[in-house]
Amino acid sequence: MIDPSLRPVLAILASLLAIPLIFATSSRRTLRESVTIAAALTKFGLIASLVPSVVWGGETYEYALFTLASGIELALEVDALGLLFGLLASLLWIVTSFYSIGYMRGLDEHAQTRYFASFAASLAAAVGVAFAANLLTLFVFYELLTVATYPLVTHDETDEARAAGRKYLTYTFGGGIAVLAGTVLLFWATGTTAFTPGGIAELATTDPAIARAIFALLVTGFGVKAALMPMHSWLPDAMVAPTPVSGLLHAVAVVKSGVFGLARVILDVFGPETVESLGVGLSLAVVATATLLIASIIALGRDNLKRRLAYSTISQLSYIVLGLALLKESALIGGLLHIPAHAFMKLTLFFCAGAIHVETHTDDISDMAGIGRRMPLTMAAFAVASAGMAGIPLLAGFVSKWYIVIGAIEGGGWFFAGALLLSGVLNIGYFWPVVYQAYFESPDDHDEKPLVRGIFGGRTAVETDGGEPVGAADGAETGDHDHTDDEPEPYETDHLGKYNEDHDHHGGPPEGGWTAAGWRGGESTWFMLGPILAAATGAVVLGIVPNTAVFLEIVTTVVDNLGVMV
Amino acid sequence: MIEHAPVLVIALPIVGGALPLLFGLFADRLGWPIAAVTLLGQTVLAVALATTVVDGGAVSYVPGGFVAPYGIELVVDGLSAVVLVLIAAVSLGVLAYARRAGPHADSFYAQYLLLVAGLSGMTATGDVFNLYVFLEITGLAAYGLVASGRSASAAVAALKYLIVGTIGASLYLLGAGYLLAATGTLNMADLAGTLAEAGYDSTLVLTAFGLMIGGLAVKVALYPLHTWQPDAYADAHDTVSTLVAALVSTVAAYALARLLFSVFTVGFFDAVPIAQTALLTVAAVSIVAGSLLAVAQSDVQRMLAYSSVSQFGLVIAGFAVGTQAAIVGALVHLVGHAVMKGGLFAATGIVERRTGARRLAEYAGLGERAPVTAAGIAVLLFAMVGVPPAVGFVGKWYIVVGAVEAGTWSLVVVLLASTLLTLAYFARLFERMYFTAPPSASTTDATPVPDGGNGREAVSTGMVAVVVAAALLAVVLGGTAPLVEQIVEQTVSTFPHP
Amino acid sequence: MIDTFLTHYNYYAVVALLGIGVYMLVESSNLVKKVIGMNVFQTGIFLFFVTAAYRSGAGPAVVHEGGGPYVSPLPHVLILTAIVVGVSLTAVALALIVRIYAEYGTLDEEVLRELDHD
Repeated sequence: MIDPSLRPVLAILASLLAIPLIFATSSRRTLRESVTIAAALTKFGLIASLVPSVVWGGETYEYALFTLASGIELALEVDALGLLFGLLASLLWIVTSFYSIGYMRGLDEHAQTRYFASFAASLAAAVGVAFAANLLTLFVFYELLTVATYPLVTHDETDEARAAGRKYLTYTFGGGIAVLAGTVLLFWATGTTAFTPGGIAELATTDPAIARAIFALLVTGFGVKAALMPMHSWLPDAMVAPTPVSGLLHAVAVVKSGVFGLARVILDVFGPETVESLGVGLSLAVVATATLLIASIIALGRDNLKRRLAYSTISQLSYIVLGLALLKESALIGGLLHIPAHAFMKLTLFFCAGAIHVETHTDDISDMAGIGRRMPLTMAAFAVASAGMAGIPLLAGFVSKWYIVIGAIEGGGWFFAGALLLSGVLNIGYFWPVVYQAYFESPDDHDEKPLVRGIFGGRTAVETDGGEPVGAADGAETGDHDHTDDEPEPYETDHLGKYNEDHDHHGGPPEGGWTAAGWRGGESTWFMLGPILAAATGAVVLGIVPNTAVFLEIVTTVVDNLGVMV
Repeated sequence: MIEHAPVLVIALPIVGGALPLLFGLFADRLGWPIAAVTLLGQTVLAVALATTVVDGGAVSYVPGGFVAPYGIELVVDGLSAVVLVLIAAVSLGVLAYARRAGPHADSFYAQYLLLVAGLSGMTATGDVFNLYVFLEITGLAAYGLVASGRSASAAVAALKYLIVGTIGASLYLLGAGYLLAATGTLNMADLAGTLAEAGYDSTLVLTAFGLMIGGLAVKVALYPLHTWQPDAYADAHDTVSTLVAALVSTVAAYALARLLFSVFTVGFFDAVPIAQTALLTVAAVSIVAGSLLAVAQSDVQRMLAYSSVSQFGLVIAGFAVGTQAAIVGALVHLVGHAVMKGGLFAATGIVERRTGARRLAEYAGLGERAPVTAAGIAVLLFAMVGVPPAVGFVGKWYIVVGAVEAGTWSLVVVLLASTLLTLAYFARLFERMYFTAPPSASTTDATPVPDGGNGREAVSTGMVAVVVAAALLAVVLGGTAPLVEQIVEQTVSTFPHP
Repeated sequence: MIDTFLTHYNYYAVVALLGIGVYMLVESSNLVKKVIGMNVFQTGIFLFFVTAAYRSGAGPAVVHEGGGPYVSPLPHVLILTAIVVGVSLTAVALALIVRIYAEYGTLDEEVLRELDHD
């Protein structure tokens, strides 16, 4: 039996040590993929083995690695909150690993070794973030996560990918600077950076102006990865990455590390009471509300499926932030529970988008009418997950949103509750057309998509960029041929976009409509379908029996540990 | 034996440096082995000295029995011990690189050891005039080394370096003259006391401060006194760039710190806050301007050279802030930068030998053409940017903590922004190496041509090992911060507080 | 004030030498002249040290009958060292210039700069 306090270290090492192995086996594809799977399973096993004692036994395990700076150790600690994130990331890494194999094989991608190695490194960093015992350790892994995911964003090695990578580095390192500044100030003001459930006591007595500055810096810094507006714009651009990356990292590990950082700041650095007394929770809640509404509206106008999902992610992340910022017990439970709930659902959605891309090279929603014939299982999973996103009961999103809304109402925040419900409607607004046209429309006969154009920089200019104008009168177009060969605007292209495909093949339905595929998996490989169904099942389980799925239990443990609630 | 160590660390490389010339009369290629033996001895001495200092406090040595303040005194305290070890270790590492990379002339190794002697002398001396002499010895050796590059432009760069460097040293000498006029002594420990009596705000002392710090700033290559530095680094032989970039500015920065803390003391800054503000301003401007200039470069070595301008801004800022945490940070960054920048210059040398690439654009696809070297560069780049837990981050952390303690908020902003500024020029290199397809022409002749055609030369495993070692050190050295902190804590308590 | 200006006439020479030296360094594009300028600059500093040590009526620092004020010998000794350093620097500089001339056939800095950029 391995000493429990060593297990978080081993969990990090599991994927870290896999990196040299992945490089060593780079010439033998199957072996290299087995290494990834083995590392993922080991990692999950190690983390899962900590659940009983931490969640039901109320234990926390600490392990100090070495002293990083005066009085601050690079230390790991497993508590319920960290376990929530660590367990989620490592569980979904298994699913994503299988999916990655199918995806990379399906597209016969280049630089697969680098891809799998970076993925393993990212997971090591993400678990490090989860189990960091103090803010400085968290920062260390947070920055390493940035570095590890950068090669994944630029994976395509196209100009757009490089531009997205630069933007990604600038935004996240910029956020890192804010976190660093906040950490230094915190250290200077209180002499510690250790996470303490309920907050660091000295902060309550610190000069409120300085405490607010620390809070603002930390929230800004973590807010970058949590894609809080106006620091969100790296995320849609990062969708240029391969879809498994978008799925696990830009819906789970990376963005959630930002959210997780915010959770640590609110719960374990400041503590709900101090946040309340400083009056900063409300401003964060307003920012989150604005983000979740604006992002939903922008999502309505995005035609590229992955971009629509990215804006959906931005919106959903703000649910979590809002749940944290409301500082009510139910809201906290809801917010934290939305971390796994959103993860399962969004992973499903991204996997579906990736499967569609691999099988049909279709990326734009306007090309997907009738695709339910070609990919019935995939689109069914997509339908389930999007219903969950919208908060339909019996699905994961419902439970967490329920708690958040209750919390909002408890706090007298009818404004927030109203915003949440409105956002639910918008969710339906941007997901339903995808599902509807997939099953009930055909390529020849469908409504114009997206439903909303031109809001907040939507694709008003799509026709001039050489796109096939959908249902547009041809009169205006004829005089416009000078522009048809122009480079498309960067925000409208990614490696999955129609403009980047070979010119003979734009994606979309083949001549003569989609061929029908059966419901038994003829539509794709099981390497991809399996993970899609597994993630979708997770989303359903979390919704139907939240009490048996361990996540709700972890969340309630976290909130109980906080002690007195405001 | 150990009590003579302070003078031996200077004498050993001088004697060792004479030997290659002497034996060169009888046999060829004895330079490298002699230098290797000498520097091994030097490293052992430096480590032994450092252990003594850490255990028992500062060691002082009076050569020839002329008692200070009349005689010249050598003083090794915690600060100088760290730098002495750094000099010995880095010069030994670069020597390993030089074995294959050359130059192989005996005179090269004589100059090499003379440089080590000069640097060690600058570090160990306790006398401001003696510091001038060692400054010039270092300079002479460095000018000669820079000129030993094969390209003719190296001679031009060396002459430029010589003229600017001499002016800097002369300014320093003039400042030392003012100090002598003000106090009648040149011994550092003695000066600390007599300066306070002479009055910190007297014109003589202020002029001396300006001239001496200005003179050393030339040697450190702070903006706008850096003009000699990019040419010297970029045109010199790879081995020389590595050694000079790793050590010369580093020791000059140490000397600047030594003047601040042991001669002018913190009392001077308290009495004349404008002096501190001025130094901090120069450092901050250096950080920003160096980065901006680095972004504008298309030659990789020149970019690295300008990066040094920026990084030394960080170091000097740390020393100028002067709180204990800031000094720790500056010292960690001084050591870390030496390792990282030395490793990067060594790597660029390997890349040039292997692929002929010098310019940023030519580094495209290096990740596939020279995977190990490229990986080493990548690690060093991110360490330099300040990704934790590498040494670049630890140094920055302490400097920022120190600046926050001192309440110099505008400096804090610049320090934090320096991460993004560093990223601005290093990300370009990283992106080229890994995410840009190599030029199609070079894929065919990527294999080294046996007869050295196309200017390509053999690269030994040892050379690559030096880069890998630097990369590993850059990550691991971050863990030594507590030790450095302990040493600095010990040393700061011995700084004179008038 | 005026008194200071009148009695410290040696400093005029120092300032003049420093000024001439810097002027040559900056203005002349001929590398040899630059080195000469550097030497003039250094000489200014040497003069400053040596004359600063002068005390009227004081004897050389050799102990003799009757004692009396001595001139401080320290600056002289220092400058002796500095002159040696200066000579070595000049030697290195000239050696470099010889090499530059052999390579480029010119000592004009402007021309060299143009050659370097091509």
